Amino acid sequence: MKKIMFLMLALFVGFSASAQSMPDVKVENQEGKVISTRDLVDGTPMIISFWSTTCKPCIMELNAINDNLYDWLEEVDMKVVAVSVDDARTLSRARAMTQGQGWDDYTCIYDKNQDFKRAMNVSLTPHTFIVDGKGNVVYSHSGYTPGSEQELFEKIKELK
Amino acid sequence: MKKFLLAFSIVVASMFVAEEASAQIKAGEGQVSIALESNNTYYTKDQKILDIGKYKPNEDTARTKGDFGSNDYLKVDYNLGRFSAGVQVDAFLPALWGYDFYKFQQRDSKMTAFLTKYVQWEDQNWGVRLGDIYDQFGNGLIFRSYEERALAINNSLAGGRAYYNFNNMVNVKVLAGLPRLYDVRSKNIVWGADLALSISDMAGWNNGVVSIEGSYVGRYQNDISELQSMIDNKLLNMVSGRLNFETAGFTLRGEYVAKLNEDFFDPGRDSAKGNAVVVDLGYNYKRFSVSATIRRLQNMTTPIEMVKPGIGSGNTINYIPLLTRQHTYMLANLNPYNATTTFAGGSEIGGQIDVYYSIRSSKQRIKYWNFHANFSMFNSLDHKSLDGNTEIKGRNAWIDFNFDVERQWSKKLKTTFFYSYQRRDETMAHEDAVDAYYCGSHIFVADVTYKFNKKHSIRVEAQYMAANNYEGDWVAGLIEYNFAPKFSFYVSDMWNCEKMNDPKYGGNYYQYYGADGYPIEDSYGFELMHYYQVGTTFTHKNFRAQLSYGRNRAGYVCSGGQCRFQPAYTGVNLAFTLTF
Repeated sequence: MKKIMFLMLALFVGFSASAQSMPDVKVENQEGKVISTRDLVDGTPMIISFWSTTCKPCIMELNAINDNLYDWLEEVDMKVVAVSVDDARTLSRARAMTQGQGWDDYTCIYDKNQDFKRAMNVSLTPHTFIVDGKGNVVYSHSGYTPGSEQELFEKIKELK
Repeated sequence: MKKFLLAFSIVVASMFVAEEASAQIKAGEGQVSIALESNNTYYTKDQKILDIGKYKPNEDTARTKGDFGSNDYLKVDYNLGRFSAGVQVDAFLPALWGYDFYKFQQRDSKMTAFLTKYVQWEDQNWGVRLGDIYDQFGNGLIFRSYEERALAINNSLAGGRAYYNFNNMVNVKVLAGLPRLYDVRSKNIVWGADLALSISDMAGWNNGVVSIEGSYVGRYQNDISELQSMIDNKLLNMVSGRLNFETAGFTLRGEYVAKLNEDFFDPGRDSAKGNAVVVDLGYNYKRFSVSATIRRLQNMTTPIEMVKPGIGSGNTINYIPLLTRQHTYMLANLNPYNATTTFAGGSEIGGQIDVYYSIRSSKQRIKYWNFHANFSMFNSLDHKSLDGNTEIKGRNAWIDFNFDVERQWSKKLKTTFFYSYQRRDETMAHEDAVDAYYCGSHIFVADVTYKFNKKHSIRVEAQYMAANNYEGDWVAGLIEYNFAPKFSFYVSDMWNCEKMNDPKYGGNYYQYYGADGYPIEDSYGFELMHYYQVGTTFTHKNFRAQLSYGRNRAGYVCSGGQCRFQPAYTGVNLAFTLTF
């Protein structure tokens, strides 16, 4: 076991920081059509947030962003992509919920086979990414504590 | 304890790494990304929990004497344009107690690791993947290979998959491989094909989606188990037909599946063919939306291997989830629906409906009301008892009604009120009973979040459960203090405040049975017990750690509509994730 641990530690050493571009994976849009995640990249910086109907902090975070969205849009050009990782069981509930929570200004996509989740290396939700206009992942964080949405806004502002 | 300290030191090391490397590694033109997840528990001695063992002679109490469990996942991916490749190491050092993985391992309980890997090419209209495959057809009723770490399920197929998409009108997919069964690779072969025709794209209709889909899945049994010799055909065939229709806020999705050959969906029972129908209906208009699901299931649970029972939910090639709402509040989750799949022969009919509505002022975005109501009802179907001697009529197994209202009063204050009524036929979790024995409970929750300023906030939950069942009433509370964005502390307690020894299921020795029909857990006279938790979470960039200590109640832990039985324990948990 120790060998495995040391191997893991050794892997961490010597990484140089550089932006990763967003992977290209097929997901469904709100209308149920298959789209490519690269199509989301259109020059506008975006917050990509992975959520599911059973993840309470995810919903809290998306609601908190939604509350602040109009204030933020006054200062920066941006969009929010809410990625539901709900499987077939809760997919229709997720679709209903995006409407019922009033997330009208979000781009909602559905990753029911969790291909996007795996490609973005998300192990626990909520996991939120900031992607610049060219599709580079510039920041990410996992977990939500009330108020941490402010950090996302600060990072988006730095992109200007 | 040594191992726990080692895990802790890795957490500290990871924090420094997160500081240094917040983004990814470039390797030539491509890029590498890494994700590490580690869940560790150090079990401590708790006399109250050990006392439970007195009532349960079969209970494995070794874990309460200072043992260690660790489920770890390291995933490394390489990506270069349309090409990607990756490996994942799942290490169980050994598996955490209560996971079905652990149950499976008891054949030779030990530390173990399992490697999955893949290479993939994704072109514009086609794709090929070799190695471990995660995929599903339709709702997954005949095939789903997936990973669910909360339950330690991973049944990825080792083989190949190819698909071709013609102008979105026709989508063809074929795959074949050997499923993973916990930490071994099964010898049985699973293959399948899926065809989706988009009528709306063919007709050039842009106002909605109309599609017809069909799938076939075969499972060839290479194992020569005792059960295998009892059926004629080594090949099991399953088919699915689906229709999807969506337009202007209205959704209708239907699927019919059939298991064409006899199979042991449950080793305790006779082999049988199976079928299922599921219909999803949805409607939304502005901030009002409704979603309903109706499902009838008969003998569709399909194992990878028809081996000796007792190895749990990881032994599956398809996905038969429970459709009831999965709760996040402690008391609402005490006794989740897990009944008919256990004791009514894997058959049920029922449905659920969700209604959401949001009221928002157009001027003050910060103030809103969110309403959500949910109702579900499931009945068992006529079936034979486990011993095959009694015909048992189908009857109601579960009803629940849930309502929650969320109100954001101002930037500072938010409240949620939640009510749930749940009623279940208690017999279905215990035995093949001819008559029902209903237990009902009313659960009330108040949840208040107050933000002092941009960084500091507090969240308080108060919960009460009024129950007429053998466990009596419960009270629970939680206080969480957050320092955004890095720290959060919480303390919670759940107390069984009313002692009730029901003549039927309380007080006496009683056995629970697993999905396979074999006893896995014994019941006992319930004590008035506190189930306390204290913990902290720390988040820094892509690193997140949670450290907690507490006593955990025996019960079902559910994720994605599937549940595992978690025996009671007290211990220290350390979980962390790191990605870059």
